[in-house]
Amino acid sequence: MCLGIPMQIVAIDRYVATCEAQGVQREVSLFMIADTDLAVGDYVMVHVGYALQKMTHQDARTVWDLLDHIIAAGAA
Amino acid sequence: MSETLHTAQTWLARIRQLPLDRPVAVMNVCGGHERSLAMLGLRAVLPKSIRIIPGPGCPVCVCPEDDLADAITLATANRVILVAFGDMLRVPINAPKGQIRSLAAAREAGADVRPVASPQEAVAIAHAEPRREVVFFVAGFETTSAPVAAMLAEGVPDNLTVLLAARLTWPAVEMLLRDGHSTLDALIAPGHVATIMGANEWGFIAERYCLPVAVAGFTGESLLAALYSVLRQSIQGEPFLDNCYPELVTASGNIEAQRLLAEVFEIIPAMWRGIGIIPDSGFGLRGPWQRYDARLRHVIRTESRPRAGEMPPGCDCAAVVLGQIAPDHCRLYGKACIPSHPIGPCMVSDEGACHIWWQAGVRPG
Ligand code: SF4
Repeated sequence: MCLGIPMQIVAIDRYVATCEAQGVQREVSLFMIADTDLAVGDYVMVHVGYALQKMTHQDARTVWDLLDHIIAAGAA
Repeated sequence: MSETLHTAQTWLARIRQLPLDRPVAVMNVCGGHERSLAMLGLRAVLPKSIRIIPGPGCPVCVCPEDDLADAITLATANRVILVAFGDMLRVPINAPKGQIRSLAAAREAGADVRPVASPQEAVAIAHAEPRREVVFFVAGFETTSAPVAAMLAEGVPDNLTVLLAARLTWPAVEMLLRDGHSTLDALIAPGHVATIMGANEWGFIAERYCLPVAVAGFTGESLLAALYSVLRQSIQGEPFLDNCYPELVTASGNIEAQRLLAEVFEIIPAMWRGIGIIPDSGFGLRGPWQRYDARLRHVIRTESRPRAGEMPPGCDCAAVVLGQIAPDHCRLYGKACIPSHPIGPCMVSDEGACHIWWQAGVRPG
């Protein structure tokens, strides 16, 4: 559960953002990072539907590389 | 993965060059770290003298058996809609043969048990079923407790209550170190717990116990950087708190999340399955928030059960969680106990060391 998934913000409506990762969209709460400057296109680390922190595109990519690897290893 | 792999290789090369003249034991306290270590095969490429031990990083594994039994009773006898993170459904309790032993079994017997992936889903169910009582059974560390605090602070429908088995991570580590029998040489601290609570929360390891500690992220690069840091600290004899996950972790963490935690919860002594009560290690609802306490809303009839509160017979999960034995040293590992037929919680949860090692291909010798 603690791994977290980086997602990209595609729309923001107050404390709720529509976020996307690997083509899947989900509603993500921004309530825990309400003070952070956020815009469409930004990346956030998401855990159980809540954004924990803003992150860079590069860091999001690195984590997705890891997740892809783990998923592939788990499926093998 | 080429760029990351490259830097991971660089860290690995540096670790190999370190003048390690004795074996070292490094504990990680996060199921996510353990998953990365196992799935990337990092143990196999590290020098033999470095032992990385999975520690208390699985909230499902330490969730009290009595709380699970209460959740099952709420779903079966009290007829509530019981929602829980998917991992909780298959964790077995010690019930006599023929009786319901898990939330999944309760569901098969007709109870309304629903897995969710987020607090928002629990709220949506409560909104969609205004005439039913909904209980959200929450086991988790700070990374889950803070979202649950946010959920309550944002406002939930009156028919939703929570059955809390939420825990803090650092007190379990402190307990391991305090008893004086620990043979640990260093610690890798959990990245997303620190994202919320701040890296500084782990400074006590260096200050009070004179052990090296580094906060790590989940990539091979970050984990190896943290490992290199603690090994170097150990060789130089100058332990300090290093932050090897600065992309997300700051010294003081996510202040808003901490504010929500402090508003909704108080810190209480809490039971850890198979381990016992650890002081100041649990979240309980504070003052006015107690109206969302499932135990106060519902009368939960408890039946006496043999071995209540314990691990299942033969299961060494508690020793695995405390880093005292490796998962494959349990006699049941890979024999009676496999993911499709788990005996203990460590083989059920995605964050349980037994489950992770099995998935990564470790088979009994
Ligand atoms: S292998 Fe199964 S029985 Fe043994 S400690 Fe792990 S979960 Fe428990």
